[in-house]
Amino acid sequence: MSAAAGKRFETIAAGEALGPHEIVIDKARARAYAAACGMDSGRFHDDEAARAEGLPGMIIPGNLSLGLLSKLVTDWLGAGTGRLTRIGTTYRAIVSPDRRLILHGFVTHIEAQARSVEIDVWIENEEAERPVIGTATVVFPPA
Amino acid sequence: MATILDLHSHSEASDDSRAPVEAYLNWIKLRRAERPLDGIVLTEHRQFNRAADYRALEDRFGVLVLRASEVETDYGHMLVFGVNDDILRRFDFANVRLPAQEVIDGVARLGGVVVPCHPGRPTVGLCEHYETKPPLENVAAVELLNGGSRKGENERTAALVERFGYHAIGGSDSHMVSLIGLCATRFEAEVRSIDELVRELRSGRYAPADFRPRRPQPRRAAPEAAGSE
Amino acid sequence: MAIDQSLIGQQFEATEPVTVTAEAIAAFCAALGEERGQSRPGPDGAIVAPPAFAVTFRNTEAFFHYTPRFGRGFDAGKEVEFLAPIRAGDSISLTSVIRKMYEKTGRSGTMTFVVLRSTLINQRRETVAHVDHRFVHRNPGEPG
Repeated sequence: MSAAAGKRFETIAAGEALGPHEIVIDKARARAYAAACGMDSGRFHDDEAARAEGLPGMIIPGNLSLGLLSKLVTDWLGAGTGRLTRIGTTYRAIVSPDRRLILHGFVTHIEAQARSVEIDVWIENEEAERPVIGTATVVFPPA
Repeated sequence: MATILDLHSHSEASDDSRAPVEAYLNWIKLRRAERPLDGIVLTEHRQFNRAADYRALEDRFGVLVLRASEVETDYGHMLVFGVNDDILRRFDFANVRLPAQEVIDGVARLGGVVVPCHPGRPTVGLCEHYETKPPLENVAAVELLNGGSRKGENERTAALVERFGYHAIGGSDSHMVSLIGLCATRFEAEVRSIDELVRELRSGRYAPADFRPRRPQPRRAAPEAAGSE
Repeated sequence: MAIDQSLIGQQFEATEPVTVTAEAIAAFCAALGEERGQSRPGPDGAIVAPPAFAVTFRNTEAFFHYTPRFGRGFDAGKEVEFLAPIRAGDSISLTSVIRKMYEKTGRSGTMTFVVLRSTLINQRRETVAHVDHRFVHRNPGEPG
């Protein structure tokens, strides 16, 4: 997903979609993320350690899911003046590596005076479920 | 005149939702062609939002906004419609282990109606509890169509509805704006107030309405090459 | 599980500020799939971390040590407010406080939720982010 030229506030409309962007996070990448973040819990590094914790296998850190959704928004913003000021996520189910994930977003609300935009973001898994849902706020400077 | 309401939704008043009510109503207006809702019912987790007043938003968007609650019982989660002071004095909605039969009967006596929600969901749905406990009495309806259900859960509920002859409702169970109205309930009569909603829920004159987009069967990721982890 | 309400308001401080290196940002970007493994440079040329870099700072180990009765739980979600960019060379310290604790039931049974708010401050004493971490612990003896 390459950065666009830069989103302008005036061109954003409620209902506009972000993505969908399909991605597969393999185990190596999930481990690399956990290592980059100093997350040494076994559940993020190998299947056996994860199963010892009662999990079906290795899982992707919630922070990585948040990072992917943040990136969905910042890529959509591109190199313009809009800034991601808030993101909130809820992890409803585990996200496993080596599975097809789809990142989605929708612009749900635009506040003209504050020049802010609210966006629903979520990750969809192969079962068409939403293990991660969230919202993001983007703000543009005064015109 | 039929009324279509999303009977199960959560605003930012619920701990795990991120949806302002105004944004819900704006989305309904935006998506009216696909989800022709006349209104929504906010069923906040373990609380009843007494102070909330949505009349100005109702007028602005032309969408009905009613308030109810989702409580947690020893038979799973249940929606309580027609919450009033008497019901709130009788039952502590913050208690995650309310006695289900007492809630159903007590709420009915005090002017409301209880509908078990997402019955097919593990641990917090009626289906699993019926495997080890006697069935509840005086169940007005159950939530057959829940927008947050995983594969198989709504189907499990369908079997329960058939077995016990329950009336059935639909609700999105939305915790974010864009999911409002994916599932709803179509009432034969007009419903413009919480009292009318309670009356109609007791009547059985309604059915679930499914506005979820039809999607192709999900594809599995390609099998891993031999030698990879 | 009985919730010890006296823990609400309990504050935890990081022992030492963490210096942000360009290498750490690059490794984070690479793992996240940022283009060419580089974050976007700021107007002054400094390497600016992507917003999500803010959640890599935590002193949850201190929290887990303090409340052994909960054990290690799961991340149930986050609410992050990005107030200022984090740049390579910044020194980030954080304080955390338990904001909320509550019980609810779900697919996994009865669970206790703990919300820990972390405030990230740089060497210029600017608040760069607030991070509300929501942890979930399954109550002992619960099925699921």
